[in-house]
Amino acid sequence: MNTIHTRREMLTTLSSGIGWLAFSALAHARSGLTAQQPHFPARTKRVIFLTMRGGPSHVDLFDHKPELIKRDGQTASLGRDSSGAKLFGPVHPLKQFGKSGQWMTTLYPKLAQHADDLCIINSMHTDLPNHAQAFGQMHTGSFQFVRPSIGAWTLYGLGTENENLPGFITLNPPADNGGAQNYGSAFLPAICQGTRIGGSQLPELYAALLNKDAAPGPPMKNIANANVPRDLQRAQIDLIRGLNERKMERDGVHPEIEGAIESFELAFRMQSEVPDVLDLRSEPEHILKLYGIGQGKDQFARQCLLARRMAEAGVRFIEIASPGNWDHHNRLRELLATNCASTDQPIAALLTDLKSRGMLKDTLLVWAGEFGRTPYAQSGDGRDHNHKGYSIWMAGGGVKGGLTYGATDEVGHKAELNPMHIHDWHATILHLLGLDHAKLIYSYGGRNFRLTNVSGEVAMGILA
Amino acid sequence: MKSSSLKILLLTSFVQSSVSGEDTSFFESKIRPVLVKQCYECHSVESGKSKGGLTLDTKQGIRTGGDTGPAVVPGDTAKSLLLTAIKHSDPDLEMPPKKARLSEAVIADFETWIKTGAADPRESAVKTAERPPVDMDSGRKFWSYQKPKQVAGTIDGFIREKLKEQGIEPAPAAAPVAVLRRLYFDLIGLPPTQEQAAAFSMWKLESTVDELLRSPRFGERWGRHWLDVARYAESNGRESNLTFPHAWRYRDYVIDAVNADVPFDRFITEQVAGDLLPAKGDAERARQLIATGFLALGPKGLNEMNPVQFAADVADEQLDTVTRAVLASSVACARCHDHKTEPFSMEDYYALAGIFKSTQTFYGNWIDSENNNHGHLIRLPKLPGQVIPNRAVTADRVQQLKDELTKLNAEEIVQNEYVVKAKIEGRDISREYHKILTTAIRILWTRGGIEGQLETVDDQGHALPLCMGAQDAKRILDSQLYDRGEIAHPVKPVPRGFPQVMGIKAALPKAQSGRLELAQWLVRRENPLTARVMANRVWRHLFGAGILRTVDNFGFSGERPSHPELLDHLALRFMDGGWSVKKLIKEIVMSETYRQASAHRIEAFNKDPDNRLLWRANKRRLDAEVIRDSMLAVAGVLDTSRRPGSLVAELDGQSVSLIGFNTKLPSDLDGSKRRAVYLPVLRDQLPDVLEQFDVANPNLVTGDRDVTNVPLQALYLLNGPFVQDQAAALAKRIQSSPNRVQAAFQLCFNRLPEVSEIALAEKFLRTRSSDELKLLTAFCQSLFASAEFRFVD
Repeated sequence: MNTIHTRREMLTTLSSGIGWLAFSALAHARSGLTAQQPHFPARTKRVIFLTMRGGPSHVDLFDHKPELIKRDGQTASLGRDSSGAKLFGPVHPLKQFGKSGQWMTTLYPKLAQHADDLCIINSMHTDLPNHAQAFGQMHTGSFQFVRPSIGAWTLYGLGTENENLPGFITLNPPADNGGAQNYGSAFLPAICQGTRIGGSQLPELYAALLNKDAAPGPPMKNIANANVPRDLQRAQIDLIRGLNERKMERDGVHPEIEGAIESFELAFRMQSEVPDVLDLRSEPEHILKLYGIGQGKDQFARQCLLARRMAEAGVRFIEIASPGNWDHHNRLRELLATNCASTDQPIAALLTDLKSRGMLKDTLLVWAGEFGRTPYAQSGDGRDHNHKGYSIWMAGGGVKGGLTYGATDEVGHKAELNPMHIHDWHATILHLLGLDHAKLIYSYGGRNFRLTNVSGEVAMGILA
Repeated sequence: MKSSSLKILLLTSFVQSSVSGEDTSFFESKIRPVLVKQCYECHSVESGKSKGGLTLDTKQGIRTGGDTGPAVVPGDTAKSLLLTAIKHSDPDLEMPPKKARLSEAVIADFETWIKTGAADPRESAVKTAERPPVDMDSGRKFWSYQKPKQVAGTIDGFIREKLKEQGIEPAPAAAPVAVLRRLYFDLIGLPPTQEQAAAFSMWKLESTVDELLRSPRFGERWGRHWLDVARYAESNGRESNLTFPHAWRYRDYVIDAVNADVPFDRFITEQVAGDLLPAKGDAERARQLIATGFLALGPKGLNEMNPVQFAADVADEQLDTVTRAVLASSVACARCHDHKTEPFSMEDYYALAGIFKSTQTFYGNWIDSENNNHGHLIRLPKLPGQVIPNRAVTADRVQQLKDELTKLNAEEIVQNEYVVKAKIEGRDISREYHKILTTAIRILWTRGGIEGQLETVDDQGHALPLCMGAQDAKRILDSQLYDRGEIAHPVKPVPRGFPQVMGIKAALPKAQSGRLELAQWLVRRENPLTARVMANRVWRHLFGAGILRTVDNFGFSGERPSHPELLDHLALRFMDGGWSVKKLIKEIVMSETYRQASAHRIEAFNKDPDNRLLWRANKRRLDAEVIRDSMLAVAGVLDTSRRPGSLVAELDGQSVSLIGFNTKLPSDLDGSKRRAVYLPVLRDQLPDVLEQFDVANPNLVTGDRDVTNVPLQALYLLNGPFVQDQAAALAKRIQSSPNRVQAAFQLCFNRLPEVSEIALAEKFLRTRSSDELKLLTAFCQSLFASAEFRFVD
């Protein structure tokens, strides 16, 4: 009797003050969402991951190779895969930018203004030169098995910052190349899974064939109800809460129901907060202009701005995908320019915007594709996949700006100086988030699993 | 003067600190990276390897050394064997093995490090390895590898005994209606109707249980449990998510087998080796072929270009699924190294792998832009009344396709001859490279689609009955043992066979894969795991937690059973009862333990908060399918007929990435009034309700689903179109009832509302008076969304 009495008392104080807080904490502890302490002080609070799918050509974008320019047209002697192929110098010139003198493509004029913020890593390497496998490995560390994505691991390790929003959001992810697995939680608690907002992107080929927008669909499933107005839904939730409280009283102790009550309240709050976060109309004109929204094809610009809004709202891990595919087997000169043009302004704007809000210091921006491209030509005017050496960049959140880290060989084929494998890169990102990759462990099916499997070394040299 | 001496002082202190015994920055920058890169693979706790007894990833390991002595003696370069090894000064001790000597600079770094005291911060980093029990002797002593022991007793006896030991009173019996609801949800996955609830009394317990076990709905519920274990899906998932339009035959096979109570040993044998079993007639032959779909349903790396790698990965997936599903073992971990925590060696792995590598898998996907490995299908005998959802074409169309195929093949020959000729003549055709490549790809992909289509029809264009499955390969071969699991590094062939720890040997035929022998080995009475694993899974479905809670892991790294004697008792009863799952279920649900109340008791809770001893029944969240089907049932719109075939069988093309854009499909992939088990199961594209409520991930063997409590579930219940439709149907159903609130409670919860609940309901129904039916619908939806609707007491 006594427990029931105190419980009733507690329930009456639920919506105000301490009672509610205690309840909320209880519910979240159970749902696994609560913010957790990192292993050591974090250098960044959140990650915005700009996925450049297809394999951007590093020797044309960031990896300046005088020797490659000099030997342009000569036969490559880089082992079996290159037999007979001709070395192929950059299709657009690279120049030095910023005080740091970072080498970057001239196709990224706006991004180049942020050269001193970028930490360019020219020594990336991954295990396989196939899109799907490498894309999966970039996200999960594994090209063979179904494993949790880096966003899921982050959420598992750190929990969420905003209880009104999912902690890991992926915007219009590509449906191919492994689809949902790239933001999946695999064996981690289901709550760590990325919440997909916006339908899958159609594989471009099909989008063109079907004459459809590559990102159709409602922004998020079940976030609105056309049949039940908000006041009626509030009454519904009050009714559900009343019934649940009655059941809890009958049951004596039933933690799951306590959690359920809170999850309906959170859902109700999400319905107002998620559309707000997704609604760009509240942004001032100069911000829209900064990103290039309203100027032609602006889907990626919108995503970049959404990413900032989500970061601001406390989403822990945000992923957005580049509008174009960087898989340039031919017509590299022309297609690379197109891709750069469609991403330059939005990404530069995101950097500017984050910086002016003082958010760049604790937001890690990552620009990466699944691999790079060969320094020798394919089909005369393109490049093949190259997983042995390629470039990515990171900015903000605890990395050194204006730094070029690592190097490939003299023509840009293979990572030689400070090579950074996907596992090392993952270990470094986790480190920036305050997580020790060797301690972020989940036991499943008789084995302890890590994002970095049994490898991974933090690249201490890039830490600010 | 002053400043220069200061500089010198600073400089000296800098030099000292950089290489002193305490400072570890030298180690971190120069030594650790080399150790990680060059040594850890064979000498670390992490890798599970300690060749020559040596681990190098801890300070203790490196100082203690291996069989030949300490690897590092601080200050003593001569005694530090690590230095000897990397300098290659002893021909018997050259490290890293089979690789070039490390650079002079690196060797000099190691000398400096050792000379200056070998500072090493890795003290607390990793604990020294517990010797993994890979040796078979300690493995055999482990409880789960020993045969179940006969101890006299009953379910209630074993449970009461433990409760008594802890001084906990057993719970009183649950109210009859609670027992009835429990039985209905557990056995058939639907709530009892008002009439069924009214007619029930505890006197009718046994006849009710028998009736439920006989109901065709039973197979739909318990078949789904096995489909979880079998990672059943109708598409490939992974990077090439192509549909499996014939997978539904396996789904139906499982439901029928569970309804027919096919003995579990037979059930396993059919799935692992149905193609190798004798059959009485076409119907049985067809059934057994469909059963082998179990082996073909896994996710595959379809875009793998290397056929040898592809075959190795398919075999690996099959091996992993069979051993996890039947034995709850992680043998497949031994692909790259001996198992780190279990008594399985690489030899064990490759002995099994040979069996699967000698098997051909038929999964049906044809070659296209996403798939480089044509899967083929098994043609079933024609049977009366057979469902064939794949489409027929005209005989003309067949001919047309064949002509196209001939044309493509001819075109390919012409192009190949052109290239060969150019090569012989030494002509440079590199400028035509792009054109040649485009043509080759066009031929490959077009041909793939045509061949795929032709495989589904006969010469007259009649649709053929087809299934996924497995058959012995043309070549029966033992597998090589591959170093680190890499196919480029074969070490030695391993004769096909079974894991040694079980101690059951069987000779494998030379002319067959050995799958039949494997199946028989799995279900032999001497096999200590199979019956235990299944009995434990059944227990888990009836109580919410297994006797061994890690139901998919019976190894060292799993938990230990709370009631080992009870588990053995059930396993032995299961086998003695002819492996009848229905008998096992009946024995459990007839026990008092199953029928006890779920009420919370503080004194018992304090002694056993997790309810491991079962001092009460667990309150359980219902499975996704049960929540959904209950809405249909309560609304009076459930269609209990079996869906012929599957939605997936009716889709055009084979790529799942296009499905989201098929406007003919409901966005939640539901909209059906049939039971959830017949909804499409596309990997990474599951129907909303299943995805939200923790359906088993069809990529993984799952005997124990998660139960999460997340806001997306609330959003589904508040806003999902399916929920709104069923709420509207329920509203219509109760609209003309004299007491609507009462009627709704009776339908949803098999009880009358309390006074306070009536008050809540009436308050809600007064919210708005504009549209009565709309309000009533919102009320019914609230009942669906209430916790009571998705929990069983």
